[in-house]
Amino acid sequence: MSNSIFHKSMVGFCLAIVLVLAACSSDEESGGDTGGENTVQFWHSMTDTSGEAVEYVIEAFEEANPDINIEATYVANQGEGQNEKLLTAIAGGNPPDVAYFDRFEVAAWAAQGSLEPLTEMAEEDGISQDNYYDFAWEEVSYEGDLYGIPTTTDSRLLFYNKDHFEEVGLDPENPPATIEELEEAAEKLTIKDGNRFERIGFIPWFGQGWFYGWGWSFGGDFYDIETGEVTADDPKNVEALEWITEFGQEYGVEDIAGFTDSQGSGAMDPFVSGQISMKIDGNFGVAALEKFAPDLNYGVSPIPTPTGDNFKTWSGGWSVVIPKGANNQEGAWEFLKFFGSEEGQRIFSETSRDFSVIESVNESLGYDEDPIFSEFINILPESNSRPVMTEGSLYWNALADAVEASTRGNGTPKENLEKVTQQVTEALGE
Amino acid sequence: MKIKGDSDQPLIQESMEVPIRKKSKISGSSVTGWLFASPWVIGLILFYAFPLFSSIYFSFTTYSILSPGEFVGLGNYQQLMSDGLFWKSIYNTVYFAVFFVPLSIIIGVALAMMLNMRVKGMAVYRTIFFLPTLVPHVALAVLWMWLLNPGFGLVNGVLDAIGITGPNWLGSVTWSKPSLILMSLWAIGQPVIIYLAGLGDIPQELYEAADVDGASWLQKTFKVTLPLLTPVIFFNLVMGAIGAFQQFTLPYTMTQGQGTPDNSLTFYVMYLYDNAFKYFKMGYASAMAWILFIVIMLLTAIIFRSSKRWVHYQGK
Amino acid sequence: MQPKAKKNLLRISAHFGLLIASAFFLVPFLWMVSTSLKPVTQIFTYPPDFIPNPFQWSNYMEATEYIPFFTYLSNTTIITVFSTIGVIISCPLVAYSFAKLEWKGRNTMFIITIAVMMIPMQVTMIPLFLLFNKIGWVGTPLPLIVPAFFGVPFSIFLMRQFFMGLPNTLRDAAKIDGASEFRIYWQIMLPLAKPAVLAIGLFQFMNVWTDFIGPLLYLTDESQYTLSLGLQQFQSQKGTEWGLMMAVSTMMTLPIIILFFFMQRTFIQGITFSGIK
Repeated sequence: MSNSIFHKSMVGFCLAIVLVLAACSSDEESGGDTGGENTVQFWHSMTDTSGEAVEYVIEAFEEANPDINIEATYVANQGEGQNEKLLTAIAGGNPPDVAYFDRFEVAAWAAQGSLEPLTEMAEEDGISQDNYYDFAWEEVSYEGDLYGIPTTTDSRLLFYNKDHFEEVGLDPENPPATIEELEEAAEKLTIKDGNRFERIGFIPWFGQGWFYGWGWSFGGDFYDIETGEVTADDPKNVEALEWITEFGQEYGVEDIAGFTDSQGSGAMDPFVSGQISMKIDGNFGVAALEKFAPDLNYGVSPIPTPTGDNFKTWSGGWSVVIPKGANNQEGAWEFLKFFGSEEGQRIFSETSRDFSVIESVNESLGYDEDPIFSEFINILPESNSRPVMTEGSLYWNALADAVEASTRGNGTPKENLEKVTQQVTEALGE
Repeated sequence: MKIKGDSDQPLIQESMEVPIRKKSKISGSSVTGWLFASPWVIGLILFYAFPLFSSIYFSFTTYSILSPGEFVGLGNYQQLMSDGLFWKSIYNTVYFAVFFVPLSIIIGVALAMMLNMRVKGMAVYRTIFFLPTLVPHVALAVLWMWLLNPGFGLVNGVLDAIGITGPNWLGSVTWSKPSLILMSLWAIGQPVIIYLAGLGDIPQELYEAADVDGASWLQKTFKVTLPLLTPVIFFNLVMGAIGAFQQFTLPYTMTQGQGTPDNSLTFYVMYLYDNAFKYFKMGYASAMAWILFIVIMLLTAIIFRSSKRWVHYQGK
Repeated sequence: MQPKAKKNLLRISAHFGLLIASAFFLVPFLWMVSTSLKPVTQIFTYPPDFIPNPFQWSNYMEATEYIPFFTYLSNTTIITVFSTIGVIISCPLVAYSFAKLEWKGRNTMFIITIAVMMIPMQVTMIPLFLLFNKIGWVGTPLPLIVPAFFGVPFSIFLMRQFFMGLPNTLRDAAKIDGASEFRIYWQIMLPLAKPAVLAIGLFQFMNVWTDFIGPLLYLTDESQYTLSLGLQQFQSQKGTEWGLMMAVSTMMTLPIIILFFFMQRTFIQGITFSGIK
């Protein structure tokens, strides 16, 4: 008996397919061609407050340009460099007119010829480096041409738990400024129970403690844009990595590692749960703290340096670009221009709480008066961008590997950094 | 000993029929065969042929997705041979496969047999064992980092209670791969379902016959159940090997693509992915893919060859 | 008396073993459900709490408003149901020819079928996209549905193993009665392989239901998006909405659990050949 039911349902299935195929093919016709004359297709990966903010920007833009219609689509972008959708769309010759794009990737994509150069249009409209923070402008430029308009930025600082400071007799208003003070504070703050940490004072590579920050803080540099020379093994960088390695050995790398598994993604932040007293993080970490631990009593200060002055940090951020082969480049440029203008920046930053790439906008929004945000804003003019080069992702991963290898006693810091220099230089030469 | 003869008998009879059957209808049935297989043959040509042949071609070029690149002959393959991370990822992947595949088969079969018992509430038990497969990877990754946390994790808590000091699981180069194997074994639901379906296919008569002969549970397991389960064990072995060599999503999500600690969780396809989509070296990545293909192909060929000795098909 | 006592003991120990193992396998799911009910400040407490306090049922409401949940649900359902149907129709048919029919080139075709699974999709993804782009299917759900109707190697291989396991006696008897090959397949062999057909259906359903990269590449309009794309929207640079994300994840698993709960019954009955003729 059940067999005939089985058969009937199979036949039913067959009929259903015919129906869906018919339905889908009609879908195709309606979905294939998008929009009217002056529609700008815009892909972005923003959700939450940023998603809201970008809607306001679009609204304001459409009001100012009634003849242009922005069609915004959310496209998932899983973290750094994972832009398969845009990649395939450009390869297929069917890209959006504007894409929201990680500035870190601009050079690599521009070198592949997959972004439209904007130099001429920018010159015509009087948009230049003067409008923006230097590092932000440099990151959207490649070999003398402009490939994007910067939209947001960030910076990295030392976060410290004021309650913990008080508990162990440190001055909560006077956070460590030198590497030595940092070490002392870390030691005082650490509570170890057997070989397990109840609480750890500090982990150099935790959160946003990527090696770029330490190298610059120790006075090193990574890349000479003029000569194209890679200098991962700059003596100051080696010094920085040696310090990180020693720090790791003192506390036991494996014992620390349990804390760092989460890679500072906010997935499981021990700073939130009070298991780590100090960490390096970006201003975006503030939003997470407000959400997950609104009562946490903490402060921020510049990343300590050996001398206690010359504080350094680095900044990433986003931009808007026109992918190669975009249909409506004129409309796209109008939107880029608006997004990067003071008006667009103010609208966006006000809602998203991401920093603007224009200093005056950050000031007008009062970031410089907020006790936490002001620290981040004040250091921005001094900030660096990661090396603008085609092998940025490789350089990034190679440095992360070098830190891992060194702290685990797999080669000396010097050897590992020399390896990075060699690897990246080779890749650049290809 | 009598039991053995009896329960094996149907199998022997089947296998003796084979030569007769083969001779009787060889003529003209090729057309029917191709006809039955035609959807898949067409599908292969439409959806597989072009991508596969393109990727072979790409493996000889510096194709970057965004630009066609140039022809470099065996350049990518040569370069791979001196790529340290390439070899490391091979070591990690083989390590994982060697432990994971056999373990997943043993545990999978054992679980399936447990779940095939006739006790009340079995539907609920079966559903429970299936649940971990349904939890999204992002969530699974975070959960495991919690469970395996050396400080407050549940796993070390339990070990502590019985007087063992647990290792730093995911933080240790030594223990990170065993941790991953443990995690992967959790999501064993799919093979278990296949075994369950396989158990359901075993003719009841065989057990009845064995019961008549007074066979014990152990005898029934080894003389009836396991031999008749070999076709699906074979399937899970081949698919398990293919899957283990292509291990990607869980370690990638968990380490955010970094393969930490110290690249001990950088698996082959993770490195391939980075080359293809982060470093714009799709040609290089394609070369990696075809090396992987050859390795898995050889392995599968060995499994297939050996299968004649240990896989019993009732139909033959 | 004695055998009965022994049987009871056996039953109790079986339950005991199953319960312990179940506890182990229940943890991830329970954790997901518990996170989905937690207020945001409770998600990262130390040590972790397994029981939400208070139970934040509003996460579920909020999650369905955060993303267009019901639109995504119906999109996902359409794609999943049709591609599952496709697999159920095509794969057993093809597998049958590999298992029971004699034809020239059969072994070569079978080897190719296994071989295509050995190439990681990461390298075939781009050319496949270009192919669908060329025929104008990008932006429609067709690339996610149509290929299933031509067969999926995993399911073909699995079905083939099951058909191989079925005895030939029935088929030979029917042959002698003059039944056509298709009739034998349709009326005798396919019903016998019902557990396997349901299994491949379930796997296809699960895979497509949770597929991320396919919908990401091929769907271009937000109104066509699926739930797994929706899940991504809970993650942003400023952190993840864990509670809401887990609420959607939990809701996403429900259809599969229900489906599984009802179809697992078919695995219980062994086949009895005598009853079929």
